[in-house]
Amino acid sequence: MEYKINDEILQSVEKPARYIGNELNSVHKDLKNIKNRFAFCFPDTYEIGMSHLGMKILYHLLNEREDTYCERVFAPWTDMESKMRENNITLFALETHDPIKYFDFVGFTLQYEMSYTNILNMLDLAGIPLYSSERTKGDPFVCAGGPCAYNPEPLADFFDFFVLGEGEEVINEIIDVYNAWKEDDASREDFLNRIVSIQGVYVPSFYNVKYNEDGTIAGIHPQRKEYPEKIRKRIIKDVDRVFFPDSVIVPFTDIVHNRIMLELFRGCIRGCRFCQAGFVYRPVREKSPETLLQQAENLTCNTGYDEISLASLSTSDYTGLMPFTEKLIDTMEEKKVNLSLPSLRIDSFSLDLMEKAQKVRKSGLTFAPEAGTQRLRDVINKGVTEKDLLDSVTLAFNGGWSGVKLYFMLGLPTENLDDVAGIADLGNKVVNAYMSVPKEKRGKGLNVTISTSFFVPKPFTPFQWEAQDTMESYREKQKYLKSCIKSRHITYNWHDPELSFLEAIFARGDRRLGKLLETAWKKGCKFDSWGEHFRFQSWMEAMEECGVDPYFYANRKREYDEVLPWDHIDIGVSKKFFIRECEKAYRGEVTPNCRVSCSGCGAASFGGGICVE
Amino acid sequence: MGEVFALSNIRIRFIRGEEVKYISHLDLMKSFDRAIRRAGIPVIYSQGFNPHPNMVFGLPLSVGVTSQAEYADFEVDDSILPDEFMKRINNSFPPGLKVIDAKERHGKANIMASIGAASYDILIAAADGICADIVADKIKGFLEEDRIYVEKESKKGKREIDIRPMIIRLEIKKQRDDEERLRAVDCSSKYTNSDRWLKEYIESLYRDDVLPPGFKRESIMHLKALLSAGSMNNLKPELLVEALAGYIGQELKVVKIHRTGLFIEEGGKLLEPLDGNVL
Repeated sequence: MEYKINDEILQSVEKPARYIGNELNSVHKDLKNIKNRFAFCFPDTYEIGMSHLGMKILYHLLNEREDTYCERVFAPWTDMESKMRENNITLFALETHDPIKYFDFVGFTLQYEMSYTNILNMLDLAGIPLYSSERTKGDPFVCAGGPCAYNPEPLADFFDFFVLGEGEEVINEIIDVYNAWKEDDASREDFLNRIVSIQGVYVPSFYNVKYNEDGTIAGIHPQRKEYPEKIRKRIIKDVDRVFFPDSVIVPFTDIVHNRIMLELFRGCIRGCRFCQAGFVYRPVREKSPETLLQQAENLTCNTGYDEISLASLSTSDYTGLMPFTEKLIDTMEEKKVNLSLPSLRIDSFSLDLMEKAQKVRKSGLTFAPEAGTQRLRDVINKGVTEKDLLDSVTLAFNGGWSGVKLYFMLGLPTENLDDVAGIADLGNKVVNAYMSVPKEKRGKGLNVTISTSFFVPKPFTPFQWEAQDTMESYREKQKYLKSCIKSRHITYNWHDPELSFLEAIFARGDRRLGKLLETAWKKGCKFDSWGEHFRFQSWMEAMEECGVDPYFYANRKREYDEVLPWDHIDIGVSKKFFIRECEKAYRGEVTPNCRVSCSGCGAASFGGGICVE
Repeated sequence: MGEVFALSNIRIRFIRGEEVKYISHLDLMKSFDRAIRRAGIPVIYSQGFNPHPNMVFGLPLSVGVTSQAEYADFEVDDSILPDEFMKRINNSFPPGLKVIDAKERHGKANIMASIGAASYDILIAAADGICADIVADKIKGFLEEDRIYVEKESKKGKREIDIRPMIIRLEIKKQRDDEERLRAVDCSSKYTNSDRWLKEYIESLYRDDVLPPGFKRESIMHLKALLSAGSMNNLKPELLVEALAGYIGQELKVVKIHRTGLFIEEGGKLLEPLDGNVL
C-alpha cells in the first residue's frame, strides 16, 4: 500500500509549507482526462527550485495540454527524507501527493553539477531504478535538460534521454510521440527509437564510448547508422511568439527569487571566455518591448506580486532598454510594483534608472571585473576596463552610494601573482575614488567587499581544454591576496576550493564518473552545494574506491585534438571558433561583441536572432 | 491633484483552512497583500520606501493551527463597501482562505490592540486506558488549583508563570453529545461549526490513502478552552495542554488546534469583534 504523508509528519518537519502544494496558480486537473503524467523535478529544495524561471515556463506549457498533467517535485530536506524512509513513503509530486514512480515521465532540470547526488537520491527515494538499463515496463522515462545537459556524460547511465537546448517545442513533440507509442503498447526501447530522430533528443544508451590506453576518449559512436552522429541543440527562433505563462505559481512561503521574472532575451552578445552561458545560449534573441509589457501586465494582474525583475545574462545589452524601462516603470508605479534590475552595467543611465525603479536604500552595488589586471581581463575577454569601473563607482559614490561589491575569479588561465595583487590594487582604487568624492555628496560608511571564487573550466568555452589550478595553488593565491589587502575599508570573502574542484571534475567528466556518483551518494553525499552537508572526504574516498583520478579530469590540460566527452553534442558554436578564441586569449586579444561585429562562431546556422538581424 | 476620497475602515472575519495552516503569520499577511492587489481593492498604502497596505491582524496563529474566526482591519478608500470587499477578495484567494463576514468599523482601537480572549477546540490523544471520564475528572481538579505554574520560554529566557488566571474556561466534550449535536447541525456550514470541522478533520486522518497516525481514533479527545489572549496576557493552547498533561501525569499528544473565536473585552463582557458594540 502506498501512503501519502500525514499531518503528524508535516508537523514534525522544518518548513512544512514546502510539501503541501495548493499555492495560487498551481494547476489541478481531473486525472480521468489525463493521458500522461509528468513529474518536473528540481534536484534541490523548494525555495531554490521555485525560483527557477525555466520550470515555471515548462510547467505551465505542459499543463496547457489537455492530455498532460505536469506536477512539481523538489528534493525533500533531510528531516523530511528520514520521515519518508521511516514510513515507506516514496517521493511524491506536490500537486496530488501521488508517488512519481507511477508517472510517465520524470524530468530533471540540470542547473549545476553539484546537484547530481540529489538526483540519485530522489530517484532512489521515488523507488525508481537508478540505472536506465534496469528500468522496465511500467517505470517512467527519466529525462533531463538544462545547462548541464550540454555535457550529460557523467549522468549518461542514469537517464533514458536528454533534451538539449530550449524545451518549449521539443517537449511537445516528445509527448505526441509518447501518446502514440503508449497506444501501441510497444517496448521501452521502441519509444526511444521513435524519439531519437527528433532534433535535440539524445539517447545515451544508443551511443558507445571507446577509450584510449591513457584514459582519454578514442571515440563516441552511435550504435546504428540511423542515430544522429551529432546531437544538435534546439532553439526557439522567435522568442516573441513562444509560449510564456500569463500566470505563475505564487508560493505561500518565501523563496529565493520571490518575484515576477520577465525574460528580456536569450543568449548574450559578450562572449566572455570563461562563461558557458555566453556560448550555449547563442544566438542572442530579444523579446519586443510590446510583448514584455503585455507579459508584465498579465503577470502582475494574476499574481499580485509587488516586484518584477528583468531576467537575462546582461540587462544593459537589451536594445532600447531605456524607452522600455521607462514605460515599464510608468505602468508598474501605478500598481505599486517595484522593478529590480540585476546584471546591469553601471553608468549614469543605469544609476538614474535604479534610482527611479527601486525605492530602496542606496546600500550596495555589485560589479564583476572578474580579474585584477587589464592583461587578464583581456585574456578572458571581459570587456571592462579599469577606467570603466572607476568611472562607474565614482558616479555611484557621487549619487550617495557607499557600498561596493567586487567579484573576481582566482585561477584563470595565464594568471600570475601580479594579477592577484591587481585585485587588491583595484580595491584600493575604488576606496580612493570614494575619498575623492566630496563628503556631503557621498554616503556614509564606505564598505568595499572583494569576493573571489575558484575558476572552473567548462565545456563549450574557449577554456574547455584548460587545466583547473590546483587547490594548493588556489589557496596560496588566496592567502597572497589577503596579505595584499591592507585597507580597513575592504572586506575580503573567499570560497573554499573543494566544491569548485568537484565541479571541475563533473563539468568535463565522462561516463566513467557515473559509478563515482553512485558510490559518493551511497556514502551519504547529497545537498553538496549546502555547506553543512558537503562531505569532501567521502568524495575523495569514493574516487579512491572507483579508481577515478580527479586530477585527470580537473587539473589536466587537454590537446586540441583530444576527443572531448561532449564532442557528439552540437551547440551551434564550432570547435574551430573555440580554438581561435583560446589562441586569442593567450595573445591577450579581445573579440568584439556580437553587436559590433560577427566573429563567425557558427551560431548563425540556426538562422535566428542577432545573426540574421 | 489626486482624487479626493475619504477613508473608511473595514473589519473582516476570515477562515484559515487546512490548506493554508502551515504558513507563517508573515506569509499570511503577504497572501492578503497579493490577493488585494489581484482583486484591485482600493486599500490605502503606507508611505515610505516600501509601501505596504494598511492592515492589522487580530492575533497571530501558530503554524499548523486552523481557525474559523480570524479578524483583520483594513483601511480603504470609501468607494468600496464591505460586501464588495468580501466578494472581491474571495474571488482572488487561494483555497483555504475565505472571508465570511465584513463590516464597516468606526471604533478607535484596531483589532490587534483590542483582543482579550480566544477560544479553541483542541484535539488531544491520550495513552490507552485513559478515557474521557478520567480526563474530565482531572480537569475539574486542575481548575480547582489556585495557581498553575508552567515554564514559558520567551526571548529573555525561561521563566515560571502562573497560567491559572488565564484559563477562563476549559472542558472536555463527551462523545455522545458530540454525535447528537452534529446531527442537529448537519446542514450548518463547517465554517461556523467547529464540531463539524473537527469531525471532518479526524476522518481525513484515517483516510485509506494517507499514512495512519501514531494514535488510535478512539484515543482522541476533544477539549474546548477559552483563554486569555492578546498583548497583555496570552496563553497559547499548546502550553495549556502541556500543563494539563503535567497535572495528570500522562503524555497528551496535541493532534490538532483549531481557533473558534476571538473576543474583545468591553465592560466585563467578551464580545465578538464584529459585534455592533465594538465596531
